[in-house]
Amino acid sequence: MGPFYFFMTPNKFTAVIFLVFAIVVLGVWIPNDVETGLLEKMRRHWVIGDSLAPTLAAGFVLFGAALILLFEKRDEAQFTMAAAQFVFFLKLVIVILVALSVMRHLGPILINTYAAISGLELEYRLLRDVIGVKHIGFLIGGMIMIGGMIAVVEGRLSHRALVIGLIWSLVLILVYDLPFEDLLLPPNGDV
Amino acid sequence: MSVLDYIWLGILAVFQGPEAFSIFGLAISITVIMVISGFFLGILVGATPGLAGPVAMAISLPILISTFGYNTDALLPVLGFLIGVMKGATVGGAVPAILFNTPGTPDAFMTTLDGYPMAKRGEAKRALRIAHFSSVSGDTFSDLVLIIGAPFLAIMVERYLDLPEKTALLILSLSFISAVVGGSVGRGLISTGLGLLAVYVGTGEDFYPRLSVGTQTLAQGFPISTSVLGVLIIGAVFKELDDLRSDQRASRMKPITTSDTNSALTLAERIKLAPTIFRSAVIGTVVGALPGIGSTLAATLGYTAAKRRHDDAEGGKFGEGVPKGIAATEAANSAVSGANLMPVLSLGIPGNAAAVFLLLAMDSISGFNPSPTVFKFDPVNLNPELVMAFGIFTTMFLANALNWTVGGRVMRSMGFMIRIPKHILLPSVLLLTLTAIYVQETRIEALYFALGFGVLGYLMRVFGISPLPFVIAFILGAKLEETARQAYAATGNDPWFLFTHPIAAVFVALSVGVMILTSRKRGSV
Amino acid sequence: MFQWLKTGAAALGIVAATALGAAAEDWKPAGPVKLMIAFAAGGGADTQARLIAEELEATLGWSFIPEQVTGKGGLNLAAAMKSEANDGTVIGMAVTETLGYNMAASNSGMTPADFTPITTTAGFQMGVVARSDKGWNTMADVVAAAKSGQDIRFGVMSPRLADLAYLLGKAQGVDFNIISVKGGKAVMNGVNAGDMDIGFMAGIQAKGVAAGDLVNLASALKAPLVQTPDAPTFADLGVEFSADGYFMFMGPAGMPDDARAALANAIKGVVENTETKAGGLIKKAFGGASVIMGGDLDAMVASDYASAGDLLKAASE
Repeated sequence: MGPFYFFMTPNKFTAVIFLVFAIVVLGVWIPNDVETGLLEKMRRHWVIGDSLAPTLAAGFVLFGAALILLFEKRDEAQFTMAAAQFVFFLKLVIVILVALSVMRHLGPILINTYAAISGLELEYRLLRDVIGVKHIGFLIGGMIMIGGMIAVVEGRLSHRALVIGLIWSLVLILVYDLPFEDLLLPPNGDV
Repeated sequence: MSVLDYIWLGILAVFQGPEAFSIFGLAISITVIMVISGFFLGILVGATPGLAGPVAMAISLPILISTFGYNTDALLPVLGFLIGVMKGATVGGAVPAILFNTPGTPDAFMTTLDGYPMAKRGEAKRALRIAHFSSVSGDTFSDLVLIIGAPFLAIMVERYLDLPEKTALLILSLSFISAVVGGSVGRGLISTGLGLLAVYVGTGEDFYPRLSVGTQTLAQGFPISTSVLGVLIIGAVFKELDDLRSDQRASRMKPITTSDTNSALTLAERIKLAPTIFRSAVIGTVVGALPGIGSTLAATLGYTAAKRRHDDAEGGKFGEGVPKGIAATEAANSAVSGANLMPVLSLGIPGNAAAVFLLLAMDSISGFNPSPTVFKFDPVNLNPELVMAFGIFTTMFLANALNWTVGGRVMRSMGFMIRIPKHILLPSVLLLTLTAIYVQETRIEALYFALGFGVLGYLMRVFGISPLPFVIAFILGAKLEETARQAYAATGNDPWFLFTHPIAAVFVALSVGVMILTSRKRGSV
Repeated sequence: MFQWLKTGAAALGIVAATALGAAAEDWKPAGPVKLMIAFAAGGGADTQARLIAEELEATLGWSFIPEQVTGKGGLNLAAAMKSEANDGTVIGMAVTETLGYNMAASNSGMTPADFTPITTTAGFQMGVVARSDKGWNTMADVVAAAKSGQDIRFGVMSPRLADLAYLLGKAQGVDFNIISVKGGKAVMNGVNAGDMDIGFMAGIQAKGVAAGDLVNLASALKAPLVQTPDAPTFADLGVEFSADGYFMFMGPAGMPDDARAALANAIKGVVENTETKAGGLIKKAFGGASVIMGGDLDAMVASDYASAGDLLKAASE
């Protein structure tokens, strides 16, 4: 049994989490973040408001959690998540987040730096059609993502992992970007 | 315009469409090329442990759309390719199951039970042949049922289903999926509820994008690609990497080579397998025609039915390498795909992940709108959608023909795919998926959404909650709300429209019934 | 490699060009232009936007990057565009209703002053349409059917049109069951599938009407429809409001005059030329281009926004 389930069966733990989630959605999120109620008077008729559908959706979650609590808490299918497993998973997610932010910001940072040094008035946004410039973030970000994930599994960072990441990013550029004028690789749609 | 005219036009639309190139003056249409390439890609992907047909379909969709555009001309090449992938992957999925004891696709899990023991006995190639023969037979059977059944289903839908009934049918589909696929009714409901909640963010009728917490980021809601690919593919990538960490089976086990010499299947052997295949094909077709239940359940049912009827005295016990075990599984899971298109074409309700991507393609490309009007045999004015429908059927049979002729050989040569180390393949798939999402959505937030959904998909898998109800709910959620609003308005604001229309009431009763029955059955186990 | 050198050189040239502050004829975008499209990919309006961009790329050598920003009647596009660069490298196509009724009816905090309207391309040919096999020839037949007790389902694709449908019913003394769907295509599909009896269509019906499958029962405009000039207008039917509206290109507020004029003229050149794909499409669906730009457009946007309140009020009574 993992570290999360203090005095409960894992099923009960799952159910309680979703029960709380559903109650928060129903009691806090929907009332405060939707303009119209369940039903709304419009053009002198009652029409279905924007709250109805999310309320039913959260109702399903609530009902499902209640079913587990009442009937399925001792179900034979019990699932656990050990601490080591959680740490491994967290490492993967962090690697991906780092890679995504490199992908997003590397190009603009390089151009801004170059502009500052050279005194030229350059903006990444206006150069995002230029081969090379528009690829740098994706190439390095992709390399970090793949190389990093392989490293997490293998337990060490190898040159081989980074090279695989670089090659694969290059392949994706060749597949998605070069033949298709309208397809944009990260971050060229954001800038 | 007779029925035959429509069929003929559909066939012509495939073979005489825009040509790719010509050989000795014979024009080869682009659609044909696309079906062929899709089919081979499908086998390759299916044969790769950790990849499945929907992954390839999802990733190629944006490329296909930007190559062929959104015009009606794009429809057959794009759908042809996707159908090719779908069919190829179904066959290919058996390869790692038999050679490596790892199902290439989830529905091939039952294939491992008898396929791997056969391979260990030195009959790997034979097992692959059986898998191929059964798979193709089941698939073809299902396609025939689709072509004959779809127009009738459409007529029934058109005649009996008005907006209230359509609303009730969507509810029935969702409750069916929650109850049958979810692992347990409670878990299925949670999965469905989360999927609905996710799709309701940012959408709605009001000018204020609901549940967007006042942010611009959430105002446009979660793009369909982020939630579907996130939960299905990225979630699976995390789970597979996790499995890789926890069991070192992959590194220890050596794949079995396909070296057995006398592997041919005689006619007598094929005939002996025929009843098993037929039974499974019927099971798979029926399961496929019901919205929402996938091929994994069909495979389980097919296998169980064959096991129950099997006499251990002749040919050994199930699970120890019986050809019938492979045949029962492969015929059943392959028979799902054709029949699955019945609810897709006439109602726009997808039954499994592959159908989800076919539906997405139909939605993005103009000129084909899944609804009963597709099957209106208009004798005076040409109904172009019907021609397209027959075009789609033609691509299916083209893929089947490929499958019967060269599919087996290609599939048996795919043994090498299982040598690609998963811990390199999976991160590569992740980057590929994120790239495919970005080129569709062109904003970095979409990648964060996808990652978030991936985390959700992973946690759902860990806690035994099937992600499929989530995905189907996400896809049908907007439609459910819109249809309900429309039904409510159309009935002159009758709040009880689900119960005052008899067919709708029956559907609603069935929805409740399905829930109660499945939870009872599970409770007694 | 060649492309790299070319675009690289062009990019460096930009610096000089912008510094000079050239006149409208000399203006060109400082880089690729982001084209936001408020309509679902693959639909008629999306196709129009993409074809215009394609034509401009071919004739002027400008580069466009189309992007879908759909939902909320163009308000999602507006919100996304508001904070973008206003030098003409970010434009979008929506409808005049976005800056008019929709912005006025929402409490999004945005006003038309946050945007620079560039030009309209085509006016809606907004008709009330039914399937011809219903046997109705004009709005009066529908009203008669409704008065004889038949429920009439009226498909609309925006809140403003729902208001107009309601007011039409009110003026004619009947009560329509108003069904709102997303996009004109959905209305047409609904009418064709029999889920709706009549519906608003803004030009998408042209082909069906020409083939005799659909019939324009009324014009929801101030003027009669080009295709069915005999159909009564909303004014004839006792409704003092109309569904007049246009497809419109716009940009963020504060766009320099030369950029605004250059973009408007370039788009005008494409849509008014029926030889171009975009122009041909507009001719077929909307009977020809309607280009309003400059001060006229500013005035129209301002008046649409100001008068939205009257319609909202009338429809709530």
